[in-house]
Amino acid sequence: MVDIVNIRAHAKDLLEKGTVKMVLGYQRGTAGVLAEPAFITDAGQADHLVWDPTCVQNLALYLVNEKKAQSHQRDPDTRPIAIIAKGCDSRAVAVLLQERHFERKDVHVIGVSCGTLGVVDKNKLSKALNGRVATKVEPHGTDSFKVTTAEGFVDVAAADVLADRCLECACAYPAMHDVVFGEKHEDRGYPARFTALGQLEAKSEDERWAYWEGHFNRCLRCYACRSVCPMCYCPECVVDSIELMVDPTTSADEKANRIKWIERSAVASENSMYHLVRAIHLAGRCIDCAECERVCPVDIPIRMLNNKLEKEAKDMFGYEPGLDPELPSLVASFRDDDPNSFIR
Amino acid sequence: MTENVYLPKLARIASIKDEVVGARAIKTFQVEFPDGDMFEHECGQCAMISVFGKGEMMISIASSPLVKDYKQFSIMRVGKVTTAIHAMKVGDVIGVRGPYGNKFPVNDWKGKNLVFIGGGCGLAPIWPIIQTAVAQRSDFANITVFYGGRSSRDIMYRAELEKLRGVADVHLSVDQAEEGWEGYCGFVPANVMSTGVAPDNAIAITCGPPIMIKYVIQNLKGLGFADEQIYTTIENKMKCGIGKCGRCNVGKDYVCVSGPVYSWAQLKDLPQEY
Amino acid sequence: MSSILKKTDLGAWAAALEAEVFAPALADGVWAYQPVAPGANDGGVALTHPNTARPPKNFAFPQREVLYTFEQLKGQAPKLTETLPNPAPVVVMGVRPCDGRGAPRNDMVFTGAFDDPYYQSRRAKTAYVGLACNTPPSPNCFCKAVGGSPSSKEGLDVQLTDLGDRYHVVAVTPRGEELIEAGGKLFAEAGAADEKESQRLHSEAAKCEQRTFGDLAAAAPALKKNFDSEMWQSLAKACIGCGICTFLCPTCHCFDISDEVTGQSPMRGERVRTWDNCQFPDFTMHSSGHNPRETLGARLRQRVNHKFLYFVENNGTQQCTGCGRCISFCPVGIDIVAVLDRMIQA
Repeated sequence: MVDIVNIRAHAKDLLEKGTVKMVLGYQRGTAGVLAEPAFITDAGQADHLVWDPTCVQNLALYLVNEKKAQSHQRDPDTRPIAIIAKGCDSRAVAVLLQERHFERKDVHVIGVSCGTLGVVDKNKLSKALNGRVATKVEPHGTDSFKVTTAEGFVDVAAADVLADRCLECACAYPAMHDVVFGEKHEDRGYPARFTALGQLEAKSEDERWAYWEGHFNRCLRCYACRSVCPMCYCPECVVDSIELMVDPTTSADEKANRIKWIERSAVASENSMYHLVRAIHLAGRCIDCAECERVCPVDIPIRMLNNKLEKEAKDMFGYEPGLDPELPSLVASFRDDDPNSFIR
Repeated sequence: MTENVYLPKLARIASIKDEVVGARAIKTFQVEFPDGDMFEHECGQCAMISVFGKGEMMISIASSPLVKDYKQFSIMRVGKVTTAIHAMKVGDVIGVRGPYGNKFPVNDWKGKNLVFIGGGCGLAPIWPIIQTAVAQRSDFANITVFYGGRSSRDIMYRAELEKLRGVADVHLSVDQAEEGWEGYCGFVPANVMSTGVAPDNAIAITCGPPIMIKYVIQNLKGLGFADEQIYTTIENKMKCGIGKCGRCNVGKDYVCVSGPVYSWAQLKDLPQEY
Repeated sequence: MSSILKKTDLGAWAAALEAEVFAPALADGVWAYQPVAPGANDGGVALTHPNTARPPKNFAFPQREVLYTFEQLKGQAPKLTETLPNPAPVVVMGVRPCDGRGAPRNDMVFTGAFDDPYYQSRRAKTAYVGLACNTPPSPNCFCKAVGGSPSSKEGLDVQLTDLGDRYHVVAVTPRGEELIEAGGKLFAEAGAADEKESQRLHSEAAKCEQRTFGDLAAAAPALKKNFDSEMWQSLAKACIGCGICTFLCPTCHCFDISDEVTGQSPMRGERVRTWDNCQFPDFTMHSSGHNPRETLGARLRQRVNHKFLYFVENNGTQQCTGCGRCISFCPVGIDIVAVLDRMIQA
């Protein structure tokens, strides 16, 4: 069991000693049952930190944002940032380290184990509560949650409300950390990795095409999936308008000759292109935090796309991203036993 | 249903003149409309120019409203659409819709001294007032024009400015001293200060790079100009030109409708989001 | 005069309307306005939705609108073809009062000194059959805080009130009267008891607890006062800069116009209007690289100020109807009610 009191004490200690400039964590929000990101810079505010199954966000995103912000600051505070990281989040930090986005000394990972549980899926929770509104979700034993609503307490089976990714999670215990809270559980008793993907793969090509076309048709191109992804850190994305990466030194020719890869119109062709380009760019990098799928306002199963490429990387190259920050990243490395003959 | 405001009129490029060449090239285009298609405009107003296949851009109309047979646009090559129009030739056809925006209250300025202060491409938006004032010379008292470029090669409307000298007090400048330049060397705001203009019965109209405008206004205030005596224009990214798409929104104003012309008295109350 | 419609007759009414009828249905886990299949037994219409994920604004203001097409042979003048829509009549059923109130606010944007013919030709053909909220469909509802109510008729053509096995039906506009007339005998005259019950439900609903930021009149002055406040940066600290809050908003209407080239020689393509969003970093970016709203804080302030200050100054009403979508769907919990509360308290 993770006791938030210990996390708060650790955060407070870090901030009091000034060894980190900020603790990225979670706090109660006003928008609903889910926790919201907290940016704690003052030891006195460490008591705002919470830890429970509503801490859904992958905060590694803010390490990236902070690094970007620093590059514009004249005299940046270069002390490390502490981040509260679930297993999946810790893998995101490791990928960012593998890709040299920042250095190991720039981050202090406060790992938290999800144990036998994980985080809740808001939609599943609302369905399980049949219209009642959850105000609090707490772990209850090893396989259920105690949910508070205006009408009282309900015990809900974890398997019914855990996020899909948590049900297939192979990294509930942080892969890397400077300090860790909670225990490691070898057998979580949930479906094996890629179970949901397997069901989709079993369909015929026509069925799969229809499946994705239907989903891509609904896409609003709000780019929440991209914006929330810690790995989507490119300063310029193929879907951005040509104005985005412009500064006073950009020449007119550069701007005029920039290729518009994907039109603004939210139509199936352009939407498919967007999602497929994004998926390919995440191959061997996505660590299945599934934030993209969680934030999608029209419930496009984006995780399945990334899962597919994750599985390909594993099957073909025996590669899993974010388990070892020292390991070269998949697409930036070559091995003599590469399965493709053309590259040998 | 009323007229479709998004549908541009087709206009033929009748002449193209290189004003400035190089990395920040400026070309002046005079465009003609088929009979009856040309619209009237007021000093300070703008038009949306289309290069089909590339897009649209908001450009100030640089000809005087008194000119009835063409509209003039002086355009700096900055991005995609400006590059496309710079590649066009006489006889090519563009789209034009407008006029958009408010106007300089030129009629209220009759009998007054007019002080124009421009820099770089910023001569174009105030050129229609200069042309109108010169054409109706007896309606106005003194006319003074300050204008500067980075170098003598960056001075637009050079010949036209020289022609003004008989009827207006013209002060040209370049940012840095160069051989053969006999005018002022230094920035435009400093030129205004060193020449000294009196605020009495005067209106100052300034347009140019934001940093120039900032110091011009500071200097004009130092010379005793009241906020109501100082006019300028602002710009923002625009897509519709008719106060709907939201891009140029600053405070409660849509610059495409309520602007681009502001007195400093009005502008200082607007959030600095332009 | 008001009427009664049995719930089981809702589909028959939809079938009787000479219009494309849309009603909320659960598709792929999301409540969305879906075309009502003609001929189906109940027509698939059952207004059991909380609220749809997307508001009905797209019926008059679709995410993509072709303004005109262009075609040009090298060396010749371009040829433009206007593509003004001429849609069949549309009836949207089950519109919640907050979304109903979005319509007149969008009308204010797309009419006025410049009429928008694309919006207007669609809007003229669109009718909204509203459904009063007996209980708040979302924990983030705040229609009462922005001058609305769970039984507001504003922007609707017909209002339905759920009386259990039947709807109490009120025509709000002449178009609404036509729609009810088209249903003929499906509608019975409402008795005094039904009208009373409907009123009771409305006043019960008005008593339901909702989120609030206090005094609506205090919002605009507070935003004006706090324009330069450092609170904006801290409130937007978690913002990821996506388009959810605006794309799901019933009144956000900002758009982009761009050329989509579909072929060369002759060069042809479409000039297209697409939804855009003040939260995207390139929205206000000048071609020069200068960006007047560079930070997340400045962009959050723009969205809130536009709705609760600028629109009020220009149109005398807020451009927010309290549907709560931007709160419920924000990936990181940014909450416009809490933001306004903070600004008013500051």
